[in-house]
Amino acid sequence: MLVLRGEMLAAEEAASSGDPLRTAVAHRLATGELSLPMLPRVASQVVALVGSPTTDANRLSELIHRDPALAGQVLRIANSPAYMPRMPIVSLQQAVSRLGLNIVSEIAFSASLQSGVFKVPGYELMLNQLWRHALASGAFAKEIARVRRLNVESAFLCGLLHSVGKPALLQLVNDVAKKSATRVGPIALVALLEDLHAVVGIRIAEQWGLPKPVAASIEHYTTYAQAGAFRQEAMITFLADRLATHALEPARFGGDDGFRDTAAIGDLNLYPDDVAGLLARRERVLELVAAMVA
Amino acid sequence: MSFDAAAFDVLVLGSGPAGQKAAVQSVKAGRRVALVEQEAGVGGMCVHRGTIPSKTLRETALHLSRLRRSAALLDFTIKPDLEVAALTTRLDEVVKAHVAYMGRQMERNGIRVFHGRARFVSDRVVEVQSVDGSQRRLEAATIFIATGSRPRTPPEIGIDHENILDSDSILSMLYLPGSLTVLGGGVIACEYASIFAHLGVSVTMIDRADRPLKFIDAELVGKFVGDFERSGGRFLGERNIASVEWDGVSKVVTRLATGEVIESDKMLVALGRSAAIEGLALNAAGLKANARGLLDVDEHCRTAVPHIYAIGDVIGPPSLAATAMEQGRRAACHAFGLASGSAAEMIPIGIYTIPEMACVGFSEDEAQKRYPGERILVGRGRFEEIARGQISGVQDGLLKIVADSTGRKLLGVQIVGEGATELIHLGQMALLSGTGVESFVENIFNFPTLAEAYRVAALDVLERSR
Repeated sequence: MLVLRGEMLAAEEAASSGDPLRTAVAHRLATGELSLPMLPRVASQVVALVGSPTTDANRLSELIHRDPALAGQVLRIANSPAYMPRMPIVSLQQAVSRLGLNIVSEIAFSASLQSGVFKVPGYELMLNQLWRHALASGAFAKEIARVRRLNVESAFLCGLLHSVGKPALLQLVNDVAKKSATRVGPIALVALLEDLHAVVGIRIAEQWGLPKPVAASIEHYTTYAQAGAFRQEAMITFLADRLATHALEPARFGGDDGFRDTAAIGDLNLYPDDVAGLLARRERVLELVAAMVA
Repeated sequence: MSFDAAAFDVLVLGSGPAGQKAAVQSVKAGRRVALVEQEAGVGGMCVHRGTIPSKTLRETALHLSRLRRSAALLDFTIKPDLEVAALTTRLDEVVKAHVAYMGRQMERNGIRVFHGRARFVSDRVVEVQSVDGSQRRLEAATIFIATGSRPRTPPEIGIDHENILDSDSILSMLYLPGSLTVLGGGVIACEYASIFAHLGVSVTMIDRADRPLKFIDAELVGKFVGDFERSGGRFLGERNIASVEWDGVSKVVTRLATGEVIESDKMLVALGRSAAIEGLALNAAGLKANARGLLDVDEHCRTAVPHIYAIGDVIGPPSLAATAMEQGRRAACHAFGLASGSAAEMIPIGIYTIPEMACVGFSEDEAQKRYPGERILVGRGRFEEIARGQISGVQDGLLKIVADSTGRKLLGVQIVGEGATELIHLGQMALLSGTGVESFVENIFNFPTLAEAYRVAALDVLERSR
């Protein structure tokens, strides 16, 4: 019901904008003419496995091995400077025992998400940027949760998936533009994604059965005061999103001082030394992002 | 930065139970009060991370326990990958309502609340840094330090808030774990251990002492441990920790000095709390922490600097909200020359384990020490003998009345069982008013109620006195 209201609202706003492409996209959203990406099978199995009390290294390795491309990608990432293995890691079992089940699960989940969801032919550069931003948001969300003495495992997923609606929306915009032979400029496209991605993200969260804090963060990270019981998670996601943008495109904030004006810093009760600590993690986060997208 | 300090009569650092009561009592004494709180909302850790969140989860655990007892009727099971958030759905409303209530109370009393971190500049001036980095100074003739505590983090245990958690991060777990190791045998350890055991988690509690909660009557604790073990929990007493580590794969591995190895999905480290005073620059006020990291105070909660008081968790045990409130009230009364009454001698202790425990006055052992050579009488009322206990399925409760050798003078009441933290107040009022044990027999209680256990225990005392 909530989703429907959001879609209707988006459609009404789009109609009043006078932009025919935006109106057409919003109409498709409102009428449900949108093919949502499936949660990649391996990613969903990784989530199920990690939630299971009987998880062990062998079961996770076996699961990743079923997708040889993913297995290779996990090994490459595990051997990257971001994870600094003392000796080369040559097997998935070794990766699990060196990096831990949670890290390897995160790598496997992220890698399968990248190959299964962040894929729209012709938009590789933009998707690469979106993917880097998602990864950086996940990594920063963990750091913020640590500073706030909150559990870090949900923070990562909230950060990683908060804009998961964007690639699906990009696909939709691409389809609509092709059909109507409209050319979409990059600025208009980015604005469209920013304005409407949450509507798609909410539907993906429902379809994938994402945990409640993650679904709430997708819906409310920019309006975190409305996130109810998940306000903390939504605030962390919002700030992680801003930290990711600041790390990847520092010019957008005019340096560290510009970033410090972000209202969520005060709302999360982060004092200047806390913020300095988070900003100091930038290089480490960029290393992790580089490892995942190389 | 403003160096002109705003002047108040009273400055309270911290808005938890102790700080609130000190602030309100100071207003009642006609003083102008400023309160500094470093978190975004008032109420302290008690509201945001401690008492209220854990009790909200406890209510859910109790509901599930009752449902499980009716499993044959309802075909009820808990999903293994249940989200913790699903168990604390009411928490946000409860916290919001409480914070709003406290905010209104501050406003009604004209207390100026400053949001920021406080540090002493001198024994009468405090500098407050806001989240935006701006600073201001506040000055007062009387200062109450009520900055509370945070979980103690032993250096040898790497708390990562992911697999090895403390009481701040335990409730933000994404999924209910299959197994949990709890380090410690204090109030927080016991409360969470029993809550998670009742949620179906396989809990192992490990402590150096031979039994948990050493300051509570052994018979009560025995009942608690019995219930905990029947719920699938395991208590390992007299054990020292050799090492704790995340195995890098899927388990937290705890090695004990005895050679035993315990593996679990998650760990809760509840090895006490440390006073939150490190950022206060105490030396600028002429104060310093003692060897245990706490502030030393006299019987009026006055520190070595006579116009600075310390109240609540910063002065150490019992670290209970009710005690902290009373310390705050009494300290303010002392500071402004008001009579504070004698109620503080009878502060009840309530522990929200499953089942609850509560006591007031002397326990059997304490009474024996206080009156050496005298015969101390103890009467017992067992909940399974009470109609209400049978109706509600609360069958493992126990109420103990401790009395002098005549069986007339009430010395203390100890209770374990659901409703204990409410039932104890009847005993507290009897103690405060000097009511004799026979009153519990001579007066009429509603039937059926658990309060009937008072009558049964009192009869037992009178029987033993003959």
